[in-house]
Amino acid sequence: MSEQEKRFLEVVDLRKGFGEGDTRQEVLRGVDFTVAKGEFCVLLGPSGSGKSTLLNIIGGIDRCDGGYISISGEKLADLNEKSLTMYRRKHLGYVFQLYNLIPNLNVKENIEVGAYLSDHPLEIDDLLRTLGLYEHRYKLPNQLSGGQQQRVSIGRAIVKNPDILLCDEPTGALDYTTSKEILKLIEDINRKYGNTVIMVTHNVAIRRMADHVIRLRDGRVLQEEHNDSRISATELDW
Amino acid sequence: MKRKQRAGNPLSRRVFRELRDEWRKYAVIFVFLTATIAFVAGMYVANNSMLTEAGQAREKYLREDGHFELSEQADPELLAAIESGERADLLEYYTEQAHREIDEVLPGEVEAAVTEEVTAAVSAQAEEAIRAQAREQGQALGLTGQALEELEQAAVDENLEAAEAELLPGALEQAMESEEYEEALETARETAYADAEQEIDEAYRRAAERYRLDDPDFEPVPVTVYPFFYRDLDEDHDHDGVRDGGIRVYREPKDVNLYCLMDGKGPESEDEILIDRMHADNAGIRVGDIISVGSADFRVCGLAAFSNYSTLYERNTDVMFDALTFDVAVVTEEGYARFRGAQRYAYAWRYRTAPADEIAEKQMSDHFLEALITQTAAAENGLEDFVPGYANMAITFAPEDMGSDKAMGGVILDILVVVLAFIFAITISSTIAREAPVIGTLRASGYTRGELLRHYMSMPVLVTLISAVAGNLLGYTVFKNIVVAMYYNSYSLPAYTTVWTPDAFVKTTVIPVILMLAVNLLVISRKLRLSPLRFLRRDLKTTRRKKAVRLPSWQFIRRFRMRIFLQNLPNYLVLLIGILFVMVMLAMAVGLPDTLSWYQGKVPEMMFARHQVILTASEDENGDPITTGNPDAEAFCMTSLLRRSESRDESVSVYGISEGSRYMPLDRETGTGEVWVSAAYAGKFRVRPGDTILLEEKYENRSYRFTVAGICDYDAAVAVFLSRESFNRTFDRDPDDFSGYFSNEEIRDIDEAYIASEITEEDLTKVSRQLDHSMGAYMRYFQYLCGLLAAVLIYLLTKIIIEKNESAISMVKILGYTDREIAGLYLVTTTLAVLASEAVSLVLAKQVMNVAWRAVLERMDGWFPFVISGGGIVKMFLMVFAAYLVIMLLDFRRIRRIPMDRALKDAE
Repeated sequence: MSEQEKRFLEVVDLRKGFGEGDTRQEVLRGVDFTVAKGEFCVLLGPSGSGKSTLLNIIGGIDRCDGGYISISGEKLADLNEKSLTMYRRKHLGYVFQLYNLIPNLNVKENIEVGAYLSDHPLEIDDLLRTLGLYEHRYKLPNQLSGGQQQRVSIGRAIVKNPDILLCDEPTGALDYTTSKEILKLIEDINRKYGNTVIMVTHNVAIRRMADHVIRLRDGRVLQEEHNDSRISATELDW
Repeated sequence: MKRKQRAGNPLSRRVFRELRDEWRKYAVIFVFLTATIAFVAGMYVANNSMLTEAGQAREKYLREDGHFELSEQADPELLAAIESGERADLLEYYTEQAHREIDEVLPGEVEAAVTEEVTAAVSAQAEEAIRAQAREQGQALGLTGQALEELEQAAVDENLEAAEAELLPGALEQAMESEEYEEALETARETAYADAEQEIDEAYRRAAERYRLDDPDFEPVPVTVYPFFYRDLDEDHDHDGVRDGGIRVYREPKDVNLYCLMDGKGPESEDEILIDRMHADNAGIRVGDIISVGSADFRVCGLAAFSNYSTLYERNTDVMFDALTFDVAVVTEEGYARFRGAQRYAYAWRYRTAPADEIAEKQMSDHFLEALITQTAAAENGLEDFVPGYANMAITFAPEDMGSDKAMGGVILDILVVVLAFIFAITISSTIAREAPVIGTLRASGYTRGELLRHYMSMPVLVTLISAVAGNLLGYTVFKNIVVAMYYNSYSLPAYTTVWTPDAFVKTTVIPVILMLAVNLLVISRKLRLSPLRFLRRDLKTTRRKKAVRLPSWQFIRRFRMRIFLQNLPNYLVLLIGILFVMVMLAMAVGLPDTLSWYQGKVPEMMFARHQVILTASEDENGDPITTGNPDAEAFCMTSLLRRSESRDESVSVYGISEGSRYMPLDRETGTGEVWVSAAYAGKFRVRPGDTILLEEKYENRSYRFTVAGICDYDAAVAVFLSRESFNRTFDRDPDDFSGYFSNEEIRDIDEAYIASEITEEDLTKVSRQLDHSMGAYMRYFQYLCGLLAAVLIYLLTKIIIEKNESAISMVKILGYTDREIAGLYLVTTTLAVLASEAVSLVLAKQVMNVAWRAVLERMDGWFPFVISGGGIVKMFLMVFAAYLVIMLLDFRRIRRIPMDRALKDAE
C-alpha cells in the first residue's frame, strides 16, 4: 500500500459548532485521524459525541468551521457547492439508519437511482443477487421488511461502486439478526469491491469487525485503534 | 461483477406512476386545463379565420373606405369635385359669389336711383314750363293773385303727366348714356366690392380656422364616390300591423359594399328583398317569408352578411348594435321605387390608392374630410354625416370585439394556468416536504439540485403539455365551431375559411408551458435550495420562527384550530387566491345579467319623456316654426359634440332645456359657460361640480369650454345640459331655435317630413337587450362553469392541506379523537378559511370588475355602471360555498381513510 493510499482520508484538526453566542455548542473540537484506502473504519461513540456530524462533513453534506478533510490529497473545503456534489456523485455512497427509499419505485428501480449517477455502474442483477433481493426486485419498498429495505439502500449506495461507503447507524432500526445480516453484507462489499467503509455506530460490538476503530467523546477522538484480527460479522454478538 | 453503461434517469419513471396513483387529481387538472386551452385555441383559430376574412373584405367585397351623407343630392359637378380630393377655394368662391350678387343687384339699384333723380328733374322742369305758359296766358286774360295761381295749378295737374311722359324717355336715355352715369355705376360697384371683400375676408378667416383650411400638410386624396342612398323604414315581419323594428333599405349594390350571400339568392324582382342573416335569425325570418317594409310587402329571397354591416349599428354613435330590431336590406331598383318617404343621400367612398395602414388611413380620411367640407360648402350643400371606415362601428366593432375576446380568453387562460401552476407548486412543495429524507439521500449521493428540479418540474410540464396537445386538438376541431357559432349569434359575419396560425399554438401551448415552468421553477427551486443535511433532518423551514405565535387563552379546540390555520397559512392564502379568481369570473357571469336588467329597469326612469322627437328643422318651408298642438310637448335643443382624448373620442349629446322644464328639471339655471353633466358622463370621465370640460365640434375646429355646475341623475347617455337660451347663445343660433320636442303623449300633428328621428325607450334599451341576447345564455353557462371551477380549485387545495396534515391527523386518531372530532378541527378551520376568503374575494372581485367594466366601456360610446344585485352577491357566495360543501364531504371521507399507522410510519 502506497503512502497516498495509507493516507487516503485525512481528518485534520476538524472543528464544528452549532448555534451562536450563549447557545453555541461545539460538536467537534479538533478531530484528527487518517483512514487508509479500502479500510473498514468504525466511528464509535455515544449520542452527541459528534460522530454523525463528522460523517456528514466527510460526506460533503456539511461544512466544518475549522481544520480540514482531504481525500486522496484533495481538500473538501476547497470545493464549491457544485464540485462537492460531483465529489459525492463520483466518490461516495451513503447508507442511513432510515432507508429513505423512493416509495413508488420498485427495488430494482431504487438501485437504478444510484446506478444513474455513475458512468460505469455495477451490473444491477448481479448486485441484486449479491444483496439477496433478486426475487424481490419488482416489489415496492412498502412490500419489504426493514432489513430488505436497508439492503436496497445499500445496493443503491454501492451500485455506483463508490470509493467510500458512508454508513450512518445502518442497523439502528433493525433487529439483532437482521442487523448482523446487514453488517455481513457491508463486510462482503468491503472485501469484494475494496471500498473504504466508514460506519457510524453506537454499538460497541461492531468494532470487532472493523480494521480501524475511532472512539469519539464530546467532539474529540478519545481512542483510536487498528484491529489486525478483524472478525466476520457473523461472529459478532451483543 | 460486470459494469454497464449509464441508463436514463430512473426518477422519470416515478412521474408516470404518480400520474397513475393520483389520477383523480391530475384528471381534474387535465380536464380543466384541456377545456380552457381547447376553448382558447378554438377562439384563436375562429378569430384568426374571421379576422382574416374581415381583413380581405375591402378587396373581396369592395367594402367602402367610408361614407358621408349630404342634405341634398349632389350634382355631377360636386361629385367630380369631391372625387378629386382637392379643397374648394372658398375665398374665391365667396368673392365670386359676392361679386355675382353685387353685379346682379347693383345696376338695377343705380338705374333706379338715376331714374328717380332724372324723373324728379324732368318733372320739375316740365312743371316750371307748364306754369310759365299758364302764367302768360292768365296775365293775358288779366288774372292776378289767387286766380292766377289756381290757373297755373290746374295747368300743371292737367298737363304734367303728359309732359313727363313725353320728356322722360329722352331724358332717361340721355342720362343713361351720359358719362356721369357710368362713373356713378362704377363708383357704386367699387364701393360695394370693397365692403363685400372686407366681410368675405372676415368670414373666410373664421371658416379657415373652423375647417383648418390653411392646413399646410394637406394633400389631396382622390377617391371614387358611390351614391349609396337608403331609406329607413319600418319592418313588420309578424304581420300584426305593429312595427317590429327598423329596416334600412338600399338598392342592390354593384360597385361597392357587396354582400356575402348566406342563404337563398339576391333580389331579382320588385317584390323580393334580401335581408341581414343575423337579424333574420333573431327575428325568426326565413327565406320565402313575406315581410312588410314601409307599407309594401316583400318576399325574403335571401339572407346575407353585408360587408359594411358586420355589426348592426343603426347609427355610428349608438352605444350598442341592435341585431334584434334593426335590419339592413337590399332590393332591386324597381323594388326601391316602391318606397315613399325621406331618402338619405349617403355616399360611400373608396380611396383610389388603398391606405398602407391605419395611421395612413386616418390621415387620408382627415384630408379627405377637409376637402369634402369645402366642396360641400362651395356647392351650398350640407354635410350631415361623415364616417370613415376605421371609425365605423358597423365595420370595426366585430373585429375589435373578436380581437378583445381573444385577448380576454388569453388572459383568462394565463390566469388559470398561473393558479394551476401554484396548485402544482404547492402540491410539489408538499411532496418535497414528505420526501425530504429521500431528497437528502439523493443529494448526499450526488444528485444535483438541477436534476431534482427537473424531476419535480416534469409533472406539471408534462400535464400542461398533454393538456395543450389535447386542448389544441379539441380547439381546432370541436371548440372552433362552438366559438364560430357564438360569433354568428352576435355578428353578421360572412362565410369564412379556416386559417391556421401560429398564434394559437404560442398562446395555448408555449405560453402555458412557460408560465407553468416559471411558477414552478420559482417555488420548487427555492424549496430545493436547502442543503442535503437539512433535507435529511426534515428541516425545511426557510424562515425560522423564534417563538410560536402566542394565542389568547381561548378554549383548547379553538386554539388547536388556530394552530392548524397558522401552520397551513400559505395553503390558505393560495385558497384565497383561487377563490378570488373564481369570484372575479363569477362577478362577471352574475354581474353582467344583473347590470343589464338594472339598466333595463332604470331606462323608463331615465327617459326625459316617453317620446323625444328630433326635427329636421325648427321652421317649415314657409319659415314658420314647426309647432304641435300637443299640450304635453316641450321644445328642446340638441346637438352632438366630441370629448376628445388620446385613446378615444366620445360622442356627447348636448341638450338645451327650456326654462322650468317638466321633463329635465335642472336644479338651477345654467349661467354662461356652465353645464350640468349626466351621471353617465360624470361616472365615465370622473368629473365633479366645478371641473372644467372641453367639448369640440366633430367636423370643425371649434371647441367649447364649460364649467360643470352639477350632476343630473341621468344614466342613459353621456350628455350635458344647459338652458335653451344658453344653448342657442353658445352655438350661435336664433334665440327661439329648437331641435325637437319632449312629450309623454305621442306627437301626431307634425308632418313626417320634418321628423328626423324619434328616441324611444326601445332605443335606449337596445344596448342591454343586445348584450343580453349575445351574452345572457353564455353567462348562465359560465356561472355553472365557475361553480365547477370553484369545486376543482377547492378540491385540489384542500386535498393538499389534508395530505400535509395526514401524519398529524393520524396521530390524533391514535390519541382517541373520533373522525367527527378531527373533522371538527380540520374541516371547520378550512370552512372558516373558505368563508373568510369568500367574503374578501366578493369585495375584491367587485372592485376588479368595476375596473374591467370601465376599461370595456371606455372603448365604446356611452356608460352605465357595473351592478351586482344583492341576490347576485348571495348567489355568488352560495355557489362557491355549495362547491365547497361537496368537496368537504370528499375531504371528510379522506380524513376517515387516513390510517392510524401513518403517524407511526412517519416516526420510523
